[in-house]
Amino acid sequence: MTEASGTDARAIFFDGRSARRRQVTIIIGPVLEIVEEGTPLARWAWDDIRRADGHGRLRLKTLAGSNPLARLEIADPGLARAVETRCPALDHGQGRGRTRQVLGWSAAACVSIVLLALYGIPFAADRITPLVPRSVEARLGEATDRQVRALLGGEACTRPQGQAALGQMVRALIDAGLPPEDDETVIDVVVLSSDVVNAIALPGGRIYVFDGLLQKAETPDELAGVIAHEIGHVHHRDGLRMVIRAGSTSFVIGLLFGDVAGGAAIVTAADAVLNAAYSRDAETAADDFSAAAMTRLGRSPAAFGDLLVRVTGETEGHGTLLDSHPFGADRLARLAAAGTAAAGTATEGPALLSDTDWQALKGICGGSSASGPPAPGPERQRLKNSDKPSGS
Amino acid sequence: MDQTLPASAPSTRWTRFHGVRRVFRNLVLRGALLELVTFGFYRFWLATDIRRHLWSHTLVDGDPLEYVGRARELLIGFLIATAILMPAYLVYFLIGIEAERVQAFASLPLSLFLYLFAQFAVYRARRYRVTRTVWRGLRFTMTGSGIGYAWRAALWDLAVLLSLGAALPWRQAALERYRMRHTAYGDLQGGFDGTGRELFRRGWHLWLLTVPALLTIIPLPFLIAAWRATMLQWWVSNVRFGEVRFHSYLERRALFGTYWKATGWWVLLGILMGLWVSGIFGLAAALAQPAPDGTPDYAAAFAHPLALGGLGLGYLLMALAAGVVVRIYLTRDIWARIVETTAVYGLEAADHATGQGEAVDAIGEGFAGGLDLNIGGL
Repeated sequence: MTEASGTDARAIFFDGRSARRRQVTIIIGPVLEIVEEGTPLARWAWDDIRRADGHGRLRLKTLAGSNPLARLEIADPGLARAVETRCPALDHGQGRGRTRQVLGWSAAACVSIVLLALYGIPFAADRITPLVPRSVEARLGEATDRQVRALLGGEACTRPQGQAALGQMVRALIDAGLPPEDDETVIDVVVLSSDVVNAIALPGGRIYVFDGLLQKAETPDELAGVIAHEIGHVHHRDGLRMVIRAGSTSFVIGLLFGDVAGGAAIVTAADAVLNAAYSRDAETAADDFSAAAMTRLGRSPAAFGDLLVRVTGETEGHGTLLDSHPFGADRLARLAAAGTAAAGTATEGPALLSDTDWQALKGICGGSSASGPPAPGPERQRLKNSDKPSGS
Repeated sequence: MDQTLPASAPSTRWTRFHGVRRVFRNLVLRGALLELVTFGFYRFWLATDIRRHLWSHTLVDGDPLEYVGRARELLIGFLIATAILMPAYLVYFLIGIEAERVQAFASLPLSLFLYLFAQFAVYRARRYRVTRTVWRGLRFTMTGSGIGYAWRAALWDLAVLLSLGAALPWRQAALERYRMRHTAYGDLQGGFDGTGRELFRRGWHLWLLTVPALLTIIPLPFLIAAWRATMLQWWVSNVRFGEVRFHSYLERRALFGTYWKATGWWVLLGILMGLWVSGIFGLAAALAQPAPDGTPDYAAAFAHPLALGGLGLGYLLMALAAGVVVRIYLTRDIWARIVETTAVYGLEAADHATGQGEAVDAIGEGFAGGLDLNIGGL
């Protein structure tokens, strides 16, 4: 400011090695020459000169100098303009071109991430799932088991007659549903004394049927359809596949939004939508498994549908079987079609449970009330295909 | 500042802020929109633009500061940090599963480790910013160990926790001494002379007022503003580089206005968000399809991808707007107020400072970003 007045210096030079402010003269020639009291300090090629941030005056730097922090400051507007017009690349690498580049690459990243989430991850999850050892899947199941039990509550119901009836039904379904050579699928069906109207399959083979759903079932066939559906999920390892998909999807979407405030909410929402889409296929496959098993037993596959309609109707779609995918007309039609195809045999097979056994199963938790006394130590039957009683 | 000074009379110089508010507002509004359409990738460029604006309009004795960091460096730092954090998160996830199997909450020590790592990232991020700051062609430098800092911060935080906040001034003083001891301008060694006792003397009544303020909410912005002003004034007045000293004339009430304006905007944004959400739910309910039993299926309507998308968009817009408010009122305005009230003594010592330190990489900032740490809107 005041230092510059009264001298004939036309620019200020900071050499980038010390903080000293040097009064210099500049010579505009084939290059920009910076001279201090007759001694040349630097020669800057016009092509290399770039604008540096400054306030109110033209501040310049050069890309080629020995010190990248050297700065030339020109206060006189006329001189500044004369210098500016000689620098062809003064504002290179800043401004609009840069923004357009960021926009373009962001759009490309977005497209590739969306494609990855829609096609890449499901494909990879399908390929990875069979490679995961059963023991790892079982551990994952145990880890989620605690959370599920804590969230949904209830104790394992173990009344002996009920257990026996449940075992009989499950064994029949396993025999009818799983291919004979499959000796890896471990099925472990447990009734929980909770009012929740639902049934779920965990990774590793544990299936929970909640007493709330059991009480809604009017015939053994209805319950058997549900259990067969869950056995289908276990057989296809859908729980594991879902964990792999959901984990990868939220990671990939998280990459996209990074640390933008509120990104977490977007990730959750996008996750929910994507997973709902993924799981629709898995539901259809499990329905088909259920229908096939029931048909083979000579029972109606449509009974499963009857139960679901009753349940969804009564609870307005909340907390019902498979929350994330409301029971649709197309699923009903599919089950009904399976029933029609098997029309001749639909009721030919023997009843899955006798009336006495059915009543025992309904009372496995100790009566119609779900708040009965907690059952003694959980003693579950673990059924493997290889344990099949011969000749059944 | 009362000690006798050499007869050559160290002159008083001033720092000045010459930024135009409207220019900065346009910068951050445009930046927020670009963040929206680039899914957040623009944040590296926005952070760089904001720093360049603030630094270059801050004049010390007539010469502007210059920020020489590049957005590209931040992006690369972020990518490197992601490459390291990605497997780390995977390991964290697997250990978590195993640990929780044995005992619930067994993964808590891992959170402590992440907290320590966050302190490390904060230190390294500051190092990046300091070494990208240039004045009169000379770089500021910063050394020191991020790990050493993380331990200190963690122990002090424990002390603050155990003392219900009473140890906070001593924490600030000790950590600032560590930071400034490792900061330099050329060969002018940085230092920090502030003591915890001094800060405690100035701020203890604010600390006592915290509980009633937390209960009644309304005075909270006043309290935060007063505390922030007290801290900043104490900080600026105790920083030095060699013989160059500073004094801040910032008054305790100086930030009341900025905090109240920011609060007002947030309340307004909250109301707008409420209207948006009720509008979406209202629309979804009106368009709900009948369920099998004939009543409208509200659950399905609310979970419709369009409704979820609308909610997500609203949330994102509000979050970006809240960020704009923070940057204008709590970053830019506070910066301007501090700069405008700061005097510099003994600046002659800086005239012949020499030496050029190293500029450090941006990985620390990448970690800070990857861990979702808010580093003061800058």
